[in-house]
Amino acid sequence: MGVMSAVAPAERYRAISPAEFFYKYREIAGFSNPARALYQAVREFVENALDATDSHGILPNIKIIIEKADENREFYRVTVEDNGIGLPPHVVPEAFGRVLFSSKYILRQTRGMFGLGAKVAILYGQMTTGRPVEVITSQPNLRRIYYFKLRIDINKNEPIIIERGSWRKNRDWHGTIVSMTLEGDWSRAKQRIKDYILRTAVVTPYANIVFITPDGEIYYYERVIDKLPRPPKEVKPHPYGVDLELMKRIRDGGSFSTVKEMLMKSFQGIGKVTASSLLEIAGISPDLSPKSLSDRQLLELVNAMKNYKRFRAPTSEALSPLGEEVIKAGLKRIYEPEFVEAVTRKPSAYQGHPFIVEVGIAFGGKVPLSSDKYPTLLRYANKIPLLYDEGSDVSTAVIKEDISWDQYLVKLPAPIIVLVHICSTKIPFKGVGKESIADVKEIRNEIKLAIQEVARRLRLYLSKKLKEEEKKKRVVSLAKYVPEIVRALTIILGDGQGVKAELLEEKLVEIVSLRTGIPKDEVHKVVKSVEIGV
Amino acid sequence: MAISSVDKHARQRSLEILREKFATIAKRILEGKKPVLIMPKRVLSNTIYDMKKKLLLLGPEMKRRSLLDVNEARKFMQTLLMASIIYEALVNDEYPTIRDLYYRGKHTISYRDISGKIHHENTWDEQRESDAVIRDIEVFLGVLREEMLILSKEKGKVVGNLIIRSGDDVIDLSKMGHGAYAIEPTPDLIEFKDIDAEFVLVVEKDAVFQQLHRYGFWKKYKAILITSAGQPDRATRRFVRRLSEELKLPIYILTDADPYGWYIYSVFKIGSITLSYESERLATPNAKFIGVSMTDIFGEEEAAKNINKLASIFGKEIKEVISKPRKKAYLSEKERRNYIIKAKKKDVERAVELIGYDVADKLIRNPEIKKYIRQKKLGVSGYPWFRTPEWIKEISIFFSKLAKLEIEAMASKGLKFLADTYIPTKIETGDWID
Ligand SMILES: Nc1ncnc2c1ncn2[C@@H]1O[C@H](COP(=O)(O)OP(=O)(O)OP(=O)(O)O)[C@@H](O)[C@H]1O
Ligand SMILES: [Mg+2]
Repeated sequence: MGVMSAVAPAERYRAISPAEFFYKYREIAGFSNPARALYQAVREFVENALDATDSHGILPNIKIIIEKADENREFYRVTVEDNGIGLPPHVVPEAFGRVLFSSKYILRQTRGMFGLGAKVAILYGQMTTGRPVEVITSQPNLRRIYYFKLRIDINKNEPIIIERGSWRKNRDWHGTIVSMTLEGDWSRAKQRIKDYILRTAVVTPYANIVFITPDGEIYYYERVIDKLPRPPKEVKPHPYGVDLELMKRIRDGGSFSTVKEMLMKSFQGIGKVTASSLLEIAGISPDLSPKSLSDRQLLELVNAMKNYKRFRAPTSEALSPLGEEVIKAGLKRIYEPEFVEAVTRKPSAYQGHPFIVEVGIAFGGKVPLSSDKYPTLLRYANKIPLLYDEGSDVSTAVIKEDISWDQYLVKLPAPIIVLVHICSTKIPFKGVGKESIADVKEIRNEIKLAIQEVARRLRLYLSKKLKEEEKKKRVVSLAKYVPEIVRALTIILGDGQGVKAELLEEKLVEIVSLRTGIPKDEVHKVVKSVEIGV
Repeated sequence: MAISSVDKHARQRSLEILREKFATIAKRILEGKKPVLIMPKRVLSNTIYDMKKKLLLLGPEMKRRSLLDVNEARKFMQTLLMASIIYEALVNDEYPTIRDLYYRGKHTISYRDISGKIHHENTWDEQRESDAVIRDIEVFLGVLREEMLILSKEKGKVVGNLIIRSGDDVIDLSKMGHGAYAIEPTPDLIEFKDIDAEFVLVVEKDAVFQQLHRYGFWKKYKAILITSAGQPDRATRRFVRRLSEELKLPIYILTDADPYGWYIYSVFKIGSITLSYESERLATPNAKFIGVSMTDIFGEEEAAKNINKLASIFGKEIKEVISKPRKKAYLSEKERRNYIIKAKKKDVERAVELIGYDVADKLIRNPEIKKYIRQKKLGVSGYPWFRTPEWIKEISIFFSKLAKLEIEAMASKGLKFLADTYIPTKIETGDWID
């Protein structure tokens, strides 16, 4: 899909491709059956809600409601509310009614990227229930709240506005509420949806998330940290990631007077000197107008850029890693572990795409027991939890093959979770399912280094804990004999010697405590528990 | 009454030492110091063979048994427990046996671990454990268990022209009928009243003792006849020692011709490794090994065959002892074939322990045994008291023949032969190992 690498100035909206395709082939977008569709719809709206908040420096308040919408049929109404930046009213119909319309076709790490998600969900709902989507939204600077009831004209790939309205804001609200009805299968989707929300909550400790199920259960994940991940910045493409199509689009889209200017303004890491030498290699005169370049000349230029060895690594400004603090807070919020540590690696790059790997490890507390082969793995790509195809994911390969856990004193099965987050302007997903990440050498290596770093800290903790336990065991193996010793001594030294059993016991407890470093009352506890039988 | 006053005195003294030693421990505890029992180490590495006294003695190494050492804590508790039981028995004028002490001290200690789980532990499980603790207390206090009036099962027996006083009774050991007098666990409380004997013969095997007794051997040859019935207990060893020391009688030891027999002899003569702290009191340095020796079975020519091999280890001096054959075998070729038994691997191993691997390796011809010994005993250096020319000669025959013989065999050749030929000849000609 060429659309993915399109480039445009900030928040510019445009349509790029017809819609019937996704109506027909909705399974590509994850809407293959009622259970899967319900799950996918929740995901799409939750991810849009988070994109509208944390990517813009807003601490998210998100509310998800799924309710039964028909007495007889398996219709479910999905409502997702956020406190994000909202949409300008004139954009709403297209954002929710035109397939391949998005504000995320730029180089910046967001959860959404295709301009598809909301629309395929709405199409699916429309097709299975015939009911329209409702959107309520307002932006921070607007005085009014806007209301739309829409449907999609599948043939024209256009929104049909059924109803619209607006009213004055009487409190300082901004955000978006999307509500739609679709045919679903709650009982089969329920576990997945709960899992998805839980795993989302793990990496969003800065968000309040409320989830109300059709069964009337309420899940509330309360905000535990006020720190947001650094918001992503839009960046220019890196020359290593360029191809002919992108080059053409830049030539046709921009208004540059010379090809040299075009290079300098369209890419990161190209200044005057680099631009000149690239053009020399490509055999193109720097003063030519870009519009006059032939496709063959453009290809020469692309090749020159691809083979040029001296570019700086791609900037990571477009990335928005969670950060160590957020990961730790998130793991703590859900698992209350006895040990938690995290690391955010320095930015790295593969094929011209910057990426950052982050790893968190939680041990003990409420962390569930892992399998006996490897620790429980929580995978994330650009803050989105990956729930399926774990077996073919690069992170799985690393924790299974590259790390020997017993070296870190982890005896499997153990209450251990390893969280791996990969963020990039281009995640190398395996297949269209977007559920597992391909085994890219550079990424695999970074994951390994990150896990090793955190695992080393875990080993330190575990070895300390082991020593502490050893010490306690040692105390028991000494203290259990104290009463017998006291008894024997008082028999031998019995009367007249002034040796009191209580005093001897007290002193022995003191000695044992002093020599082992275990508090006196713990030694006492063991001594008091002793019973001498016959 | 003499005995009860001896007895009373022993009690009093033991009690005092017990109190004094354990008062120091209590004092240390009250001062907040580490509770430790300091006592001589009772292990092979701390057993010294005193060449001059010809005794196995306890060396100077001390061990510190600390309550704070996880590996020693249990032993520490056991030592105190045992001391308290012995103390009570002394105070109450009792005579417990080591088995009594085992039962009196055996009980469970139950306790909770850190996780609150209840565990049960026995103060000791087998009598072996409590017996070892008693030995520890002996070395810790420097008081022997007999002095603490602790008894053990009687094992040794004696008959002969000897009148003794034991307790309030005077006993004539020549009037025991077919039976014998059991040597009591506290032989120091025996008083020798009258004696008419010229030597003492100690027989390893109870059965042979009985045969010689019924045959009237001790009457005919004016002997005191004793059996240890296998490995000698402390009482038998002490009794023999007193006969040697106080009555100046020569002591002859008759055992099987095998490594176990040789070791029994050495225990009588120089002491044992586990009880080296008692050697000064129990060992009989004058005891002589009268047989059955390998040369009695195979003749001295057999040893001469090994002469060059042995000279390569021990030098020329060994040749002096071995080179001139003085006597012939007591058994004919045919008898040998009937009576000797093939040595088992265990016997060979044991012999290597006594004499050392170098000798065994030089002399054993059987390749299978040779290989086996190399695997198990390579580098074993042997006990110095066995690495004397006489014993080298003996044991070299054992290695080259890989054969052993029981005393009974000599008796089967004829009890008469054993009683009237073999033993008297050996004594008369001085044919023994000292
Ligand atoms: N809750 C929301 N708040 C603000 N803007 C929203 C919200 N939901 C959707 N939008 C806007 O609508 C656009 C279309 O959303 P849609 O989910 O269809 O595609 P996308 O998020 O861009 O990409 P993807 O297909 O990967 O989800 C978004 O790009 C965003 O600009
Ligand atoms: Mg989206």
